[in-house]
Amino acid sequence: MTGVQTARTAGRPAPEVLCTAVAKTFPGPAEPLPVLASLDLTLEAGSVTALVGPSGCGKSTLLRIIAGLEHPDAGGSVRIDGDDPLEVRRRGELAIAFQDASLLPWRTAAGNVALARRLAGQPVDHRKVARLLGMVGLAGFEKARPAQLSGGMRQRAAIARCLVTEPRLLLLDEPFGAVDELTRRRLNIELPPLWSGATTTTLLVTHSIPEAVLLADRVLVMSARPGSIVADLPVGLERPRRMQQLHSRRFTELVDRIGTLLGVDEYALGQG
Amino acid sequence: MVLQGEQAVQATGRDGDGPRPARARPAAALRVLLGWVLVIGLWELVGRTVLADRHLIGVPSGILGTLVENADVYGRGLWFTTREAMIGYLAGNVAAVALALLVVLLPGLERTVLRLALVVYCLPLVALGPLLRLAYGFGDGPQVTLAALAVYYLTLVPLLVGMRAVPRSWLDLTATYGRGRWTTLVTVRARAALPYLMAGLQASVPAAFLGALVGEFTGAERGIGVLSIQALRSLDTDGLWALMILSAVVSMIGYVLVSFIARRLAPEQPTVLLATPGADPRRPAWRRWLVSAGGVALTAAIVLLAWAGLFWLLDLNPYFAKRPWDVWEWLVSAPTAAEHRAELFTAASQTALVAVPGYFAGLALGVLLAAAFSLSARVRRALTPVAVALRCVPIIAIAPLLVAALGRGSFGTAVVVALMTFFPTLVSCLYGLGRLPGQVADVFAAYATPRTRVLVLGRLPAMAPAFFAAARIAAPTALLAATVAEWLATGTGLGNMMAVDAATSRYTSLWSTVVVVTLMALAGYALVEAVERRVLAVVAPEQSRW
Repeated sequence: MTGVQTARTAGRPAPEVLCTAVAKTFPGPAEPLPVLASLDLTLEAGSVTALVGPSGCGKSTLLRIIAGLEHPDAGGSVRIDGDDPLEVRRRGELAIAFQDASLLPWRTAAGNVALARRLAGQPVDHRKVARLLGMVGLAGFEKARPAQLSGGMRQRAAIARCLVTEPRLLLLDEPFGAVDELTRRRLNIELPPLWSGATTTTLLVTHSIPEAVLLADRVLVMSARPGSIVADLPVGLERPRRMQQLHSRRFTELVDRIGTLLGVDEYALGQG
Repeated sequence: MVLQGEQAVQATGRDGDGPRPARARPAAALRVLLGWVLVIGLWELVGRTVLADRHLIGVPSGILGTLVENADVYGRGLWFTTREAMIGYLAGNVAAVALALLVVLLPGLERTVLRLALVVYCLPLVALGPLLRLAYGFGDGPQVTLAALAVYYLTLVPLLVGMRAVPRSWLDLTATYGRGRWTTLVTVRARAALPYLMAGLQASVPAAFLGALVGEFTGAERGIGVLSIQALRSLDTDGLWALMILSAVVSMIGYVLVSFIARRLAPEQPTVLLATPGADPRRPAWRRWLVSAGGVALTAAIVLLAWAGLFWLLDLNPYFAKRPWDVWEWLVSAPTAAEHRAELFTAASQTALVAVPGYFAGLALGVLLAAAFSLSARVRRALTPVAVALRCVPIIAIAPLLVAALGRGSFGTAVVVALMTFFPTLVSCLYGLGRLPGQVADVFAAYATPRTRVLVLGRLPAMAPAFFAAARIAAPTALLAATVAEWLATGTGLGNMMAVDAATSRYTSLWSTVVVVTLMALAGYALVEAVERRVLAVVAPEQSRW
């Protein structure tokens, strides 16, 4: 960790995200397709929020709207500590991981991670890049190109790319979707210390209910399209989270409850 | 390699700039109309004032007048040329499909068939025109043959890519049920290759015109090309423009027609570009060299055998249909061989001195302009249709015009070469710049990266496969353009030498020149391909699977 960088991020506490009347309708082939019903949402500074919901309910769209990659329909707005998302992106304080790893095929794993530092206007810190790649289990693959990595490995490289800039707002869209179950469990425990805390506000989309409960302070359950938030559940498990908590009563209750809300309780228990 | 076809296709398949919903606004239509009126008015003005004596620009009123006046003659000429192009187009594409089927069913033949196909593609059409005329006698035969020759390679290459660009899992599906190559071909490959076939069929429409026109430039009795030469001789600039516009319009109509059918049959866009099958990098270098050298030797042997055998079978008159040994004697064993070699070398260096700078200028201009387009979405949206329209124009049609305008020096020839290289490069690069996957573009957006930086770090590397596909095909084309221009005008270089040889019946010299030009074109192609391999190995490793 370079001195400059620590000073910069440590100097600015995690931001609060405020979504007001955010709705999104896409122009469909025949008629307009409403993806998100109007929703108001506040992500508290430094919180980790998980978003669960059926496929196509607009989770990814909401993420993209918060990042400012997509604009909400007229009348809606997103403010990050009062700023427009674009300003936050310009300052290099936002990072987003997509469902596809979206690595540049002509750069090595390390090159892809280092690129984020350059794009965010931060000095490239090769030791930090190597350390993060090690943390996501890619030690020894620094020089490999994306085509030589498996889907799960590419996704882990993309997570390292997100974390390398020490973002203040971290948006993760199914970050572990292609990661194998064993590695996934390990990452679920080892990575959160990197992003929870005083400096980062995190929003994460996941299909795994246990993962949502394990990672988040708060789980938002969305309805089918057009998506709206049907439940807002505080997790209330102590941090740092540990594997043992997977078997606590609070944990299983929450998983059951979310499963019931989504109408997939058997599936959810199977995952736990 | 861990990456499988499916992912590669997905990764390259997403377009950075999706189609925008059409906005029908009468005001916009009016503005477009006004723009056109303004452009044509300006054209007329410039043509009548600044450039009036340059024989460069025909003015709209004059062109229209010529068209009306010569409607009968031009109409008949256009019909002949179109018919030649159409028959050649059909024949060339049928040949391409047949070759592709052969290669898919007998994969062992692939390298050899592709090499032979390339040799035939690199033959100098300019010299083949008069030679074919001697073989066929009076008629459209030579033009049709040249059109077919200009067409088939442009269809064959994407078709082969399409047959291979099938996700591994689809192939596994037929394999799971124990089915063989034939079932796979019918159920999977044929359909998967359809968009690629269609892309090839589109690209080869203007090529068919190019072949027919080159045939007409080099001594046919009738057609647009013949009328162009007459207009060129009589400095009839308006006539030249009118003829160029006519062939462009017909070629465009053909292109639109094929596009329409393509959209009906295979609405999806082909996703992977025209990388030729790569050498297996796991083999040691010396073995790869040995294999390529063996392949080249084998190809040379087959070409020589086919050359001699075909002439023998067809019982062609040895007076004009020279055999390999005649060329050998002319260039190597005859007492005057050194003179012949010197003559050829002089002409070849003259041509190279014009063609090489023209080629690189065309490439550079194409990339630069495409990059400039990509920085502004508005400019891109406005100019992409123009670029696409230019893709379906047989650029060779403007060769007489440029020769007339820029004088009979090497500059005019270089401009023809540059233009022939520039347009396909521009179109291909514009396509390639959009190849940056949407989510990768989003990664840049997540850091609010400025456009110029996205261009350098993302779009230009993503464009490389498209650029090289254009550059590779353009290498033989550049030589063709140079020799056509030289044939028409300059009095120097290989083109002129072939024209003189054909006119004075120096057929052994002509055949020797054919051999040399073909070798030059092959060398150019191979050089570009070597650079391409190096670059794509870094920039687009997923392409090397094919």
